[in-house]
Amino acid sequence: MRRSPGFALAVPAWAWLVIFFVAPVAMVVWFSFGYKPGIFGTHANDVLSFDRYVEALSPTFFATFQNTLWVGVAGTLLCLVIGLPVAYWMAVKAPPSRRGLLLALVMVPFWTNFLVRTIGWQVILAPEGWLSSLLQGIGLTNGPLDLLYTRGAVLLGVVYNYLPLMILPLFVAFDRVNGPLREASKDLGAGRWRTFARVTLPLARPGVIAGVLLVFIPLMGDYITATVLGGAKGNMVGQLVASQFQTAQNWALGSAMAMLLIIVIVLTVAAGALVVWIVSLPFRARHRLVLGDPPAPPSPPVPGPSDTSATPAGPRETQEVAA
Amino acid sequence: MNRRSRSDVALTAWSIVVFAFLFAPIVVIIVSSFNSGRLLVAWGGFGFDAFLSLVEKPAIRDAVWVSIQTGAIAAVVATVLGTLAGIAMARHPGKWVLWFAGLLLLVSVTPEIVDAVALLPWLVFLGQDLGIGLFSDGVVRLVVGHSLFATAVVSYIVRARLVGLDAQLEEASADLYAKPFATFRRVTLPLAMPAVLAGFLLAFTLSLDNTVIAAFVQVSGTTPWPVYVLSALRSGLRPEIAAVSTIMLLLTLVALALVALVLRRAGDSATQIARTMTGH
Repeated sequence: MRRSPGFALAVPAWAWLVIFFVAPVAMVVWFSFGYKPGIFGTHANDVLSFDRYVEALSPTFFATFQNTLWVGVAGTLLCLVIGLPVAYWMAVKAPPSRRGLLLALVMVPFWTNFLVRTIGWQVILAPEGWLSSLLQGIGLTNGPLDLLYTRGAVLLGVVYNYLPLMILPLFVAFDRVNGPLREASKDLGAGRWRTFARVTLPLARPGVIAGVLLVFIPLMGDYITATVLGGAKGNMVGQLVASQFQTAQNWALGSAMAMLLIIVIVLTVAAGALVVWIVSLPFRARHRLVLGDPPAPPSPPVPGPSDTSATPAGPRETQEVAA
Repeated sequence: MNRRSRSDVALTAWSIVVFAFLFAPIVVIIVSSFNSGRLLVAWGGFGFDAFLSLVEKPAIRDAVWVSIQTGAIAAVVATVLGTLAGIAMARHPGKWVLWFAGLLLLVSVTPEIVDAVALLPWLVFLGQDLGIGLFSDGVVRLVVGHSLFATAVVSYIVRARLVGLDAQLEEASADLYAKPFATFRRVTLPLAMPAVLAGFLLAFTLSLDNTVIAAFVQVSGTTPWPVYVLSALRSGLRPEIAAVSTIMLLLTLVALALVALVLRRAGDSATQIARTMTGH
């Protein structure tokens, strides 16, 4: 019997995703070069241009892009600052028997419907709500709470909504570092903070990177938080795109905005990676320590699996830690 | 010594504050579902009026039913596609895996709003311009929209499970002259089963909660419950919204508890379960 090629089993999923993901997104890319013909049409592509992109960056819409980027960067940093101690505490300080429970507790908000938890904040922040009366009651504010439908409320909402996505990968990373390496560092005389800064944190770097990406990317495309908490003052690009498709019926402009959103996300991630790389350059240079034999000069590569498995895995990481 | 414990105390205190923050709006919603007042934000006394009006109002009931229906179908679609793809990725590695994993990654990182606005004109194109009536059906449209990300998630989970298990059992089966299909059905699939079940339940909850794509592709008449809530946002929030949210939260938690149970019985640690549930 003839063996079918290995990827045969993946063909159904591949076809499904090509038909319902790649093709629609490609169509949006195509739309973004078109225009809106008259009042009743949604899109036309007989004349192709970059005009919609220019239009999407005109001052009215540009402010929204700026606002989205601000909320995205500030929200991601706040998630990191708030979530990192919690993840560290969960993985290192909390009693190991409680870890499952704590993880479940982080998971519950994560799996609660996004819209519902955001509405929860609308109820909390409402000027006529109980928090507002409480704050007035103890005299912290005079007059009703004036936070709902501002950029501040959107920032609070996104930090809340994406915080579990920061805590979980950080927890996984800290959990992996916890144990022999930290003990070795302490045995070698490193203090508590030194162990954290020189061993735990550098080894948890993949978790930090994963958390930042998991928060930043969906946050930039967020549509619900800004719709529920932002009002007219806290607009985000997601709403802009949605309104072009739903109310303005300008699919060409909406498509260009969606593409610009993706471009902004990619560029910001690239810029962030570059900044981190440059900033950590002196740090890495200072902590480089060669363990054992220096790497052999490049020799003609020997093919075969034994070649790769013979070299110790991840020598670079060990070097940085050992310094 | 004293300083140490002080920083530990600070860390613990901070974590408690953050956990309280994480649960604040959920508690508010659950409490609000017992609000007998007319508006969600104004407390009008304790009562079960909101739950009673759920029974009386067919609109919300229908919305919940649409969600459960589409959730189940989308979960089946995603599980079948994702399981096959996951097995292929784990057991037939090659250059194609890179390309396929790249596609799955794209599906997972593309902002949902972009998926949503792309799917709407595409379904209109398939349904009206090409005249495939299937794609004008509300349930079909929701299933398609919900299945995309879920397919990627199931693929990851199944692949991760099989990569962790040696292929020796399958090789032994083949050595004993089992036909490839028999090996697949009697060996590979049972090995992957915990991941398949967990993937199914995750796909179901993902679909149940999908709001953004659903809001764009839905056809009036088949409105899923999150979209009903979204439209209620404009017309004014009433305690019924909190009541239906509480019920759906319970349903989600039951599904997730089952996922955790399935994975735990398959021998996963708490950390592994957490990783599975965040989809990486």
